[in-house]
Amino acid sequence: MQLKLAIHRITAIRFGAATSIDGTTDGTTLIVNAEALRRLLLEDPSLSRVEFEIVRPGESCRAGPVFDIIEPRAKEPDSSPDFPGILGPPQTAGMGTTHVLEGMAVTVLKETGAGDSRGAPGYVLEMSGGPAAGTKYASLHHLVVIPCTKPGLPGHAQQKAYRLAGLKAAVNLARAAANDTPVSTYRFESVGPAEGDRDGLPRVAYIGQIFSRQRKPELGEQILYGAGTDGMLPVVLHPDEWLDGALVPSYHNSLGGVETYFYQNHPVIGELYQRHHARELNFVGTVATIAAADNFDRDRNCRFAANLVRWSLKADAAVLTKFGGGVPHADLAETARLLEGMGIKTAVQVTDLARDRRLESALLFNFPEVNAIVCIGGNGTAWKAPRLDRVIAANPEMAERLRGPFELEAMSVIGVSNQQGVSRLRAIIY
Amino acid sequence: MRVVHYLNQFFGGLGGEDKAGAPLEVREGAVGPGLVLEQLLGSDAKVVMTLVCGDNYAVEKQEAMIALALEKIREARPDLFVAGPCFQAGRYGMAAGALCSTVQKTLGLPVVTGMSEENPGVDLYREPLYIIDSGTNAARMRDVLAKMANLAAKLVSKAEIGLPADEGYLTRGLIRDQFVEQTAAQRLVDMVLAKVKGEPFESEMVPTAFAPIPMPPALKDLSKAKVMLITDGGLVPKGNPDKIQGSAATRWGSYKIEGCDDLKAEDYEISHGGYDPQFVRQDPDRLVPLDAMRELEREGVIGKLHDEFISTSGLANPLSNTRRMGREMAERIKQLGVDAVILTST
Repeated sequence: MQLKLAIHRITAIRFGAATSIDGTTDGTTLIVNAEALRRLLLEDPSLSRVEFEIVRPGESCRAGPVFDIIEPRAKEPDSSPDFPGILGPPQTAGMGTTHVLEGMAVTVLKETGAGDSRGAPGYVLEMSGGPAAGTKYASLHHLVVIPCTKPGLPGHAQQKAYRLAGLKAAVNLARAAANDTPVSTYRFESVGPAEGDRDGLPRVAYIGQIFSRQRKPELGEQILYGAGTDGMLPVVLHPDEWLDGALVPSYHNSLGGVETYFYQNHPVIGELYQRHHARELNFVGTVATIAAADNFDRDRNCRFAANLVRWSLKADAAVLTKFGGGVPHADLAETARLLEGMGIKTAVQVTDLARDRRLESALLFNFPEVNAIVCIGGNGTAWKAPRLDRVIAANPEMAERLRGPFELEAMSVIGVSNQQGVSRLRAIIY
Repeated sequence: MRVVHYLNQFFGGLGGEDKAGAPLEVREGAVGPGLVLEQLLGSDAKVVMTLVCGDNYAVEKQEAMIALALEKIREARPDLFVAGPCFQAGRYGMAAGALCSTVQKTLGLPVVTGMSEENPGVDLYREPLYIIDSGTNAARMRDVLAKMANLAAKLVSKAEIGLPADEGYLTRGLIRDQFVEQTAAQRLVDMVLAKVKGEPFESEMVPTAFAPIPMPPALKDLSKAKVMLITDGGLVPKGNPDKIQGSAATRWGSYKIEGCDDLKAEDYEISHGGYDPQFVRQDPDRLVPLDAMRELEREGVIGKLHDEFISTSGLANPLSNTRRMGREMAERIKQLGVDAVILTST
């Protein structure tokens, strides 16, 4: 398995006659033929209308509620498919060359939001001010895709339409770069349990939760190679599969802090690769798992995940991340406890649950051996989001709700309390 | 900057244990350690008043002492209130903690005190107060006062307060957010590598241990017992009359089931954002098993089912909140003469 990324750096987006990349001395502009892209997305009979907006970094602009954010990427012919299992056959991701439009994203909005009428109606993309400093997304150029579904569709069909619109748009845009020379290419060094020449370096694995059974997967929901996670057991994945379209987030992402963009640019996998290249460790692979709904399933899943790390990946150490809200802490901690019992050192990433800001409320487990904990904050941070002129939403009512001013909590700003490892907001004990 | 300072009888110069019964005294200006404090706070600081009280009096007549102290402090119009440092002196620490906490709460003034980690005042007041770690050695008075003065100056000017290790205060057991240079992924990999190599690392969160809750004595005779159902699954009558929040609920409600043998789906809804409620929505007895309890009641297995059930939503709820609701429920249950409770969760 060898993945090659062909990087095309995008410094502006504009609408134009043909979707293409226009390189000048000032930078590289992605020109988007909105009509052609609209026709492509409207092939989905669930959609009645699609709108597009362009958003620049630092712009005084707000968009929401966000369904997902995706980096435009497209596979070369004869490589593995784009988003296998969703846009193509479920063949192994991570093979061949992937063209990447770096510096931009496709951001998909949904039509309805959650919560009461005062706060944010779900995830908000905030491009300026304090919140923007806390999220990588504010530094990107966005093509905002606003899909409007036909009336009367059930929720799961609506969400599926949003997902397909986002993925198809992202792949379509990146195909424009297929014939251009990339500014750089990136090849990953081989990793895996059988890689030699790394004697003496600690063998490190990654275990990532990709769903939490706090919710049932929606009907027809596609998460891993197009499969829902119903009945899923932990599975070994090559790191490149995460990066190259094997995974998308769940629709139930209100607590998740997981976006396609950071599967494609997975911060934990990226960090492990970097240390692997630097010969600080031997990255032996990953396990994707889910958090269970009850102890019976939890026991089974955690044991499977730990055994895969122990016996298939033969790791000396593992880092673990969770998905969703409170309950997945139990699965995370139990897996780490089992690993520690096998002599495998662990570090885990949790989210701060202490809404009363008291230490005693922060952790949902107490295993002495699970003692290396990274804690993402968010409960104690909010900004006064000012009234803005440019607000992007699926309908005027939603736009009015998002216009501000209102109190914008960190947890509602997409990217700030992300659980894929990119967050720089930390909970500190004092 | 106008400062009021509190000292016990020993540091206030009244005398030792023989003067521990001395009532609260008001002195003009700085006394003993207050002279050093004033100097450390800088040229614009003045200790305008010193309150001195015997340790026994302060603890035994705490309410009266605090009431009088508050009155005097209010009159002095200070910008800052300082108590101690108290080192290991337990009664002194308790009085200083109670005073600081009240002054902070009722007058909204910045307050600072100092104690050793073992001082019983720390257990009671570490959370609401900045308590400088004084250690046990009173010979370090000047060092301790320097830290107190430094922290006090920051509090008065509303500057950002650093971490316990930087400022020298005892960890309060609270959490705050901070943007840091490194991403979570970098910190995670750093931590696991340190752990593998046996190098020191600092976990960002620490678990809390809880004292075990003793098992209550068994019921003598279940067939005579009044049993009650309580759930944290968020089952509420249609319309959610008590407005119980679906997450981090601050309220609970009790709902009549008198003369009812079976909970009907159309009468109830779920206020709980943390589980898939479709099965309970179909049949609320799956969460609050009224049907099964009625059967047990008819068969005489239990004496009587209490004619209301209690419900709240157990999701993402901080302990301070659940503890309070638990106490309120327990009080209610005792009043009702209920002998046993079945708790159903999700």
